[in-house]
Amino acid sequence: MTQTDPQNTTTATESSQTKSSDEPILRVNDLHVSFKTDEGMVRAVRGVSFDVRAGETVAIVGESGSGKSVTNLAMMGLVPKPPGNIDSGQAFFGGRDLLSMSDRGLQSVRGRHIAMIFQDPMTALNPLMTVEQQLTEMTRLHLSLTRHDARKRAIEMLGLVGITAPEKRLRDYPHQFSGGMRQRVMIAMALSCEPELLIADEPTTALDVTIQAQIMELLADLQARKGTAIVLITHDLGVVAGVADRVLVMYAGRIVEKADVRSLFAAPQHPYTIGLLGSLPNVESNRDEPLAAIPGQPPDLSQPIVGCSFRDRCEHRFERCQTDDPILTPRESLGSEPHLAACHADVNTGETRQ
Amino acid sequence: MNDTQMNSTDTPLLSVRDLKVHFPFRRGSLFNSQKGVIRAVDGISFDIARGETLGLVGESGCGKSTTARAIINLVSPTSGDVRVDGVSIAGMSDAAMLPYRRRVQMVFQDPFASLNPRMTVGGIIGEPLVVHSLARGRDRKLEVLRLMELVGLNPRFLNRYPHEFSGGQRQRIGIARALAVQPDLILCDEPVSALDVSIQAQIINLLMDLQQKLGLSYLFIAHDLAIVRHIATRVGVMYLGRIVELAKSEDLYAGPKHPYTEALLSAVPVPDPEIASKRQRIVLSGEVPSPDVYYPGCAFADRCPVKIDRCITDRPELPPKNHAAACWVREEALTAKSAQTN
Repeated sequence: MTQTDPQNTTTATESSQTKSSDEPILRVNDLHVSFKTDEGMVRAVRGVSFDVRAGETVAIVGESGSGKSVTNLAMMGLVPKPPGNIDSGQAFFGGRDLLSMSDRGLQSVRGRHIAMIFQDPMTALNPLMTVEQQLTEMTRLHLSLTRHDARKRAIEMLGLVGITAPEKRLRDYPHQFSGGMRQRVMIAMALSCEPELLIADEPTTALDVTIQAQIMELLADLQARKGTAIVLITHDLGVVAGVADRVLVMYAGRIVEKADVRSLFAAPQHPYTIGLLGSLPNVESNRDEPLAAIPGQPPDLSQPIVGCSFRDRCEHRFERCQTDDPILTPRESLGSEPHLAACHADVNTGETRQ
Repeated sequence: MNDTQMNSTDTPLLSVRDLKVHFPFRRGSLFNSQKGVIRAVDGISFDIARGETLGLVGESGCGKSTTARAIINLVSPTSGDVRVDGVSIAGMSDAAMLPYRRRVQMVFQDPFASLNPRMTVGGIIGEPLVVHSLARGRDRKLEVLRLMELVGLNPRFLNRYPHEFSGGQRQRIGIARALAVQPDLILCDEPVSALDVSIQAQIINLLMDLQQKLGLSYLFIAHDLAIVRHIATRVGVMYLGRIVELAKSEDLYAGPKHPYTEALLSAVPVPDPEIASKRQRIVLSGEVPSPDVYYPGCAFADRCPVKIDRCITDRPELPPKNHAAACWVREEALTAKSAQTN
């Protein structure tokens, strides 16, 4: 890999500080994805680079339209083309670039080595197939299990995710399960081939808090036992604080901040992250004081963006922000991982950085 | 505020007593059908005072939205009483309801589904003024422009259609429409849950600002406990069609009494890794049971970590207290304690 792009340089800094045994299992490099729409070309992902190491949980945080889901769909070859197009970038997994792989090649990776769980289990499960059919399909295909062994494995997996009487429930269809139970079935399916990487796209957003707590606990438990790396895509900073090791904050198709979870929450360095954390009511927030809302709205990605994409909503903006798009640069980290932010300002002093 | 006559200030603005909404259903085949009843709301009581915000929290299916809908007769209550300024409106005809609908307005969760896509913003906000014959012609237009300004919408957008707005702006349109008739009470049904975090805070600030300016009362329904804590003066926690705990906001969050409230609060993710790693979570087993099953005792007993035999057979009621929990285990301790202090 040649390191020419500024965002690549940051990736290099990051990995040079990690032990060699922590070689990333996934390395995404300067990914660009766009969609052709009636309003013009929407640049959904505009140069995203990150690593995921074995056994760790990386959270990708951002609001609707920030590109967090598209980034992951692109890696899995699930961006509909057209209207979507992967303009450039690589995603190395096990030494191979997922983005230049054939459909056949991808099929041998998807489900087997990288699995995905989605926000809405009802749309991800096939309503016309029993849970048994769906659970055994993958293991028979990828692990070449016999029908009998696949069934045994399915029962084992359902038990593992906490579904009672798994033998009986195998015959049921998805609609016979509640929302939380369906999400468990999806997790059982995703983990049945013991993938090295699990991409969880808003896995608990559709669920109630008490069920959400059960599911997050289950994921953490399975991760500890199987050593699966997890990419967690979410807008819920509360969930992130509870489970993530590292966090990537996305805004308007870019990563604007990248840090150790503790460092990010204790000393956020990008004005957008600061704004997001300020918008949340918390234990200390006073009823008499308004919440620190971020004014305005995210930019229209069908229009070309010159300069920093956050500048119109930013309290620290300078003239330079109108013209130069800031790149990720290292800041002081309060955790064991580097802390990077893409901002021309030093948010601690309000001064511009050289 | 309003030209309708005010009763004495002792009368709560809204008073709900033993409200029940049951939906009968029939399932199975034509020849082998079973009849049953979904107890969406099963006997709840609360008051809302002028200028107050009552938060109603609970998980999906607990009946919080049905409660709001029953208050303004969008679904007919099966039994119970709803009073606005002491006047009973439950089960009133649509025509007789009209003056009360003016006093009690609603803001809905989905700003995409609750605005007519074929009407302009001006038309949407002005429609209540037509229905209630409050302003016409030029006056109406001026009033609409005033309302747009009040909720932070640019008056230039008067002739635009809902699809041209973002979620947050659409929610502002819905709020302006509710304010058009100068209501006393606004029922907000998950008004921010469809919005992004940074936009949520804008709408919460707007609602609180309007409350100060106009002396509004809110019934604020949400599943996000952190937001309810910020906006509500009092909070009711619902489980399976009943209020299991009702208290001042500070008291409820500082010392929840009902085991369900405890579990719910402990499950809320905290956006702070230090606190999150130290916190003891009460992870409830099982899920909210189906509301078509009748529980003679406490509906939470199946999942309750502290249940006693009595919970299976006797139904606990909310005692008339400032901080009330419908729980046999916790309420006994409470009675003993407060008997000493009083």
